[in-house]
Amino acid sequence: MKTPSLVKASLLLGTLLALSSAAAAEVKIYPYSGAHVLAGQKFDLRVEVSGVAAGAEASVMLDGKPVAGLIKTNSAADTVEYTLRGVSLIAGSHTVTVTGAATGQATMIAEAPATVAQAKKVILFIGDGMGWNTVRAAELVAHGYNPDNGMPLGRLEMETGLSGLATVTNSSYDSFLTDSANTASSIATGQKVLVNALSVYPDNTKDSLDNPRIETIAEILKRSKNMGIGLVSTAFGTDATPAAFAAHTRLRGDYSAVADQYFKGSAKPDVLLFGGSNDFISQTVPGSRRKDATNWIDGSQKMGFTFVSSRAELMKANTTKLFGLFNLSNFNSYLDRVQFKDPSVLGDFKDQPYLWDMTQKAVETLDKNPNGFFLMVEGGMIDKFEHPLDWQRGVWDVLEMDKAVAWAKDYQKTHPDTLVLVTADHAHSISTYAGYDHTKGPGNRDAVLVYQDGKFPTYSDKKDVNGIPMVTPTRGLAVGFAGVPDYCETFTARPIYKDPTISDGSGGYAPNPDICKEEGAYFRTGNLPRNTNQGVHSADPVPLFSFGPGAQNFVGMMDQTDIFFAIAKAMGVDATKDAGK
Amino acid sequence: MKPALFALWAALLLSAAQAQSSLKFSEMYSKVTVRGIEFSPKVQGLSGKSVSMVGFMAPPLKPKLDFFVLTKAPMSSCPFCSTVADWPPDIVLVIMPDGKLLDPSTGALKVTGRLEYGIKKDDQTGFVSLMRLYADKVENQ
Repeated sequence: MKTPSLVKASLLLGTLLALSSAAAAEVKIYPYSGAHVLAGQKFDLRVEVSGVAAGAEASVMLDGKPVAGLIKTNSAADTVEYTLRGVSLIAGSHTVTVTGAATGQATMIAEAPATVAQAKKVILFIGDGMGWNTVRAAELVAHGYNPDNGMPLGRLEMETGLSGLATVTNSSYDSFLTDSANTASSIATGQKVLVNALSVYPDNTKDSLDNPRIETIAEILKRSKNMGIGLVSTAFGTDATPAAFAAHTRLRGDYSAVADQYFKGSAKPDVLLFGGSNDFISQTVPGSRRKDATNWIDGSQKMGFTFVSSRAELMKANTTKLFGLFNLSNFNSYLDRVQFKDPSVLGDFKDQPYLWDMTQKAVETLDKNPNGFFLMVEGGMIDKFEHPLDWQRGVWDVLEMDKAVAWAKDYQKTHPDTLVLVTADHAHSISTYAGYDHTKGPGNRDAVLVYQDGKFPTYSDKKDVNGIPMVTPTRGLAVGFAGVPDYCETFTARPIYKDPTISDGSGGYAPNPDICKEEGAYFRTGNLPRNTNQGVHSADPVPLFSFGPGAQNFVGMMDQTDIFFAIAKAMGVDATKDAGK
Repeated sequence: MKPALFALWAALLLSAAQAQSSLKFSEMYSKVTVRGIEFSPKVQGLSGKSVSMVGFMAPPLKPKLDFFVLTKAPMSSCPFCSTVADWPPDIVLVIMPDGKLLDPSTGALKVTGRLEYGIKKDDQTGFVSLMRLYADKVENQ
């Protein structure tokens, strides 16, 4: 039998527990408070109330009126969720209010529709990982200086004849640092998104494909104007950057689902040109990465697509719907395709198109749509070689993309209703910190030339078949990264790519002994966590170069989410309209 | 840093007497296209036979290994650790004999064992392999 004091104590404890469980109740509302959307832009409204008693209910009001049609679920014993898919708002400020089991509020702004279309076509180039310093290294390689007077000999195509220039900063919903999924999603949707997520808000379920979706610029342009949509990349086709414009998932690694959404989703791209066929072929075929028997090479053709798999086939194509896959995985780097050309690296993929070929053919194909088009062209391998500190392969892929930009600028001159944008999703911690005298051999710190000793790089002395400098100059650049694992440095491009690190067998990484054995290679102590095998994205800003009508919307300092609204404004988007197709 | 590797046990007397075939990574496939991979006639001819391959252990998941991935060059990406790891197509799954475990290793290895090719999914890990070596012997190079 309890004593009165114990009874009091247990009553008090019970009260405290009740209070603490009430205090633990939490409300999450998506779109999050502070979100900006376009009036008419579709999104999934979701309210999650956690830390509540079983059977608890909440009511959800939008601008003071109950929201009809909400689907109620209980993902866990102490949660209740309310979801309504395909919501849109009229222009103005809106408030979602939650009452009942717990209370919460989120205010979001719906931007008014554009009234005038400044451009009818947009070509958006995204250099993956192409921050300001990456562009600068590419410029130094491409043009250099006149040694007689110290004057620069030119700039990249993306840097000249500009109509607008902006510097873009980025961040994630959950971090000031970013990955390629959430950054492309911010450009595509105007929202802050979780790292590794593609054009969705967070949710509390394990299923990565049921997260609340937010309509992308490609989907809006297809729905409201029935425009042509094109996605082009030198990375594998389901990689984050192209995927963010036409797919929705919490996990960018849902490659098969991304591939399916390209053909079944609402963006309905008319042009898809990628590497990475492994997500588009049946699991019964060696080399497939799928977990089912879907074959989109055949499936796309049944949907009216022309399928091409080599440069020759691409250049011959004359169609309104074009699907091209040019490698089992990523494209080989520009240097591997053009300058090193090692047969063991290229294997059977000897006729991969250039990014400028794909840009040209995508535009020719999309141009057949009288309503205009949205084309995203990704230099997808820049980032993939910056990660393993192979700056030469990364920078030469910038030079390849720059020739694609040159083609787009020429097209813009004869098609003045076209807006050309060149930007990046995020940066790497890259810097050109000195010159390097290659006559003194690789890995020689005394060949790193600072201040006046650096003189001028001589990359332009020798050029390849495309007029792009050879990677083997007498005087080159010393380029490094701020954030590195332990690795061995040689300052020199290697004809066959090597990972900078290998597993140490116990969860960490060690410098790749194959590199450390190379002539002159010397050990550099890293500053990243020991379980990090390569360089990482940085918080550094990225450029946004613009050409043509609507470029005035891309000026000054921009947050990455602003790009979405600036494109919508330039294209005269009224997302409240439905083209009915 | 580098745990010693142990040769597991003497191969069967019968197979010890057989001439050992060696297979290079560059000899695995006769054709790689966007529609998939074709195994080389050499691989097809060696199916079920004892074969030696030299390569590197991909980053392992566990401190003691009953299987590992053999790659042409040392790699830093792990097939199980990341959904975004970009795998080369020319990798071989090495399966250790029952009850025999291996320590992780970073140096070059010579693996001798029975070759099997064709798609096979490991139910435990979900890892899909195209080619497998059922190891009799794993030696440091």
